[in-house]
Amino acid sequence: MDTIIKFENVDFRYEGNSDLSEPLAISGLNLEINRGDFVAVLGHNGSGKSTLAKLTNAILLPEKGRVLINGMDTANEEEKFNIRQTVGMVFQNPDNQIVATIVEEDVAFGPENLGIEPLEIRKRVDDALKTVGMYDYRLHEPHKLSGGQKQRVAIAGIIAMQPECIVLDEATAMLDPRGRQEVMETVRMLNKELGMTVVFITHFMDEAVTADRVVVMDNAKVILDGTAQKVFENIELLRSVGLDVPQVTEIAQYLSNMGIDVPKNILKTQDFVDAILKVLEVQC
Amino acid sequence: MISDITIGQYFPGNSILHKIDPRMKIVLTFAFIIIIFLCKNFYALGVMVLMLAIMVASSKISIKVILRGVKPILFIIVFTAILNIFYTDKGETWFEYKFLKITSGGVYIAIFMAIRIICLIIASSLLTYTTSPTMITDGLERLLSPLEFMKNSVHTVAMMMTIALRFIPTLIEEFEKITNAQKARGADLDSGGLIQRSKALVPIFIPLFITSFRRAYELAFAMECRCYNGGEGRTRMKQMKLTKVDFVALFFIVAMCVAVIMLNMNFTHLL
Repeated sequence: MDTIIKFENVDFRYEGNSDLSEPLAISGLNLEINRGDFVAVLGHNGSGKSTLAKLTNAILLPEKGRVLINGMDTANEEEKFNIRQTVGMVFQNPDNQIVATIVEEDVAFGPENLGIEPLEIRKRVDDALKTVGMYDYRLHEPHKLSGGQKQRVAIAGIIAMQPECIVLDEATAMLDPRGRQEVMETVRMLNKELGMTVVFITHFMDEAVTADRVVVMDNAKVILDGTAQKVFENIELLRSVGLDVPQVTEIAQYLSNMGIDVPKNILKTQDFVDAILKVLEVQC
Repeated sequence: MISDITIGQYFPGNSILHKIDPRMKIVLTFAFIIIIFLCKNFYALGVMVLMLAIMVASSKISIKVILRGVKPILFIIVFTAILNIFYTDKGETWFEYKFLKITSGGVYIAIFMAIRIICLIIASSLLTYTTSPTMITDGLERLLSPLEFMKNSVHTVAMMMTIALRFIPTLIEEFEKITNAQKARGADLDSGGLIQRSKALVPIFIPLFITSFRRAYELAFAMECRCYNGGEGRTRMKQMKLTKVDFVALFFIVAMCVAVIMLNMNFTHLL
């Protein structure tokens, strides 16, 4: 598999003061993210997951080790813009990442910075807005949109730069359930249909369930890494680092421990219902 | 409340006025304002009012909105008008009481001044009503770009203006949220004298400042992530090109200017 993001033994700490009393925010991190994957990064507050996001596009630079994006080292000042063009980033608060007063002008901001031809920008902006389903709102003012819509505009602003990978740093944390749904659908579509690599940082379990791969972080380190099914089997460990598992997984495991024939690694409600029905059929 | 202010607001639309190139619009608005001050009598001013009426009609913005824009400065208009009544003692005397003397000349000047200020406000708000703030700052940036030696600072100032305009509604919203939060905690904002009231605003403005700084910090991150690197090597999606509409507008303003000068020369000056 082709690697797009590679962390090599990375240490990072925020500089409170120059002595090394600040704890490491990222410690000895090794992580490879494959092209085209949908990776969810889970962790509670302060686990280092947002720091991980900022390390991917040279907003923060590692204290030790290297971060490679398509083989480009983020520490290399000359590659900075290539890296940022490869890895786009969407932040938590939609209000704080929209620059212009009209939706389409905001989406055009990234391509304009890249010095692209006006006609090409126009095309990219229209395409990006259509992709996230905000084309009809292109002449609206951002502050009149809902949270989910604003966040989709922010995503369009990133897509218009045509990155290979998009990192969403708790992009759904400030949204209501409907807004979260909108953003999740958009991101999943980007991954499935455009083949974009997605790194989705969150603390909502149900959002991580559909990912190809789940990485759980705690205390500056990766503690679990694998498919959603594998990761959510470790209920005790997840609990101990302040994370929840999806409710159905918990019930399934409880039943399984009681000797009922239900698979332990159920993640979706529908699968659970099916499994229970099967058990009942056998018993009746 | 604050959100009622319409000056500086933009109403998206597709009218002829919306289509004029922002650069042309800025220049013509300035010209219009200067010509207003060239008017010396009611005939000349009449031409301006007529022109303004044509502009308002072609902008397709409702009269209500335009009048709402004038409302906040009604006090200034009335105040100026009243002052001007007593400014001169030309013409026949209509009313006299001790040192107060109202003459026909004074009343005419008062009316003249009031119309002039209203024209001024409407003309300049038409610019912002029909041009998006980004287009205005863009237009300014391009108008000033021949000043090669300060090119970078022109871009920076234009960028700052765009961002400031973008955050006005966000900060108003934030202000209202904080006000409500403080009220819920028992803050008393509406009673007491001026000093007491302004003191009561401190617990509103401090959180507002803190969040603004945080916003600025995050926005800077987001802009960097989108490869922002100052004005150098930046292109724009919207190209500005002068079209027929612009020359028609220019023609109208020039014609108006000529008419005003002719009328000034042929009729007696009011001032």
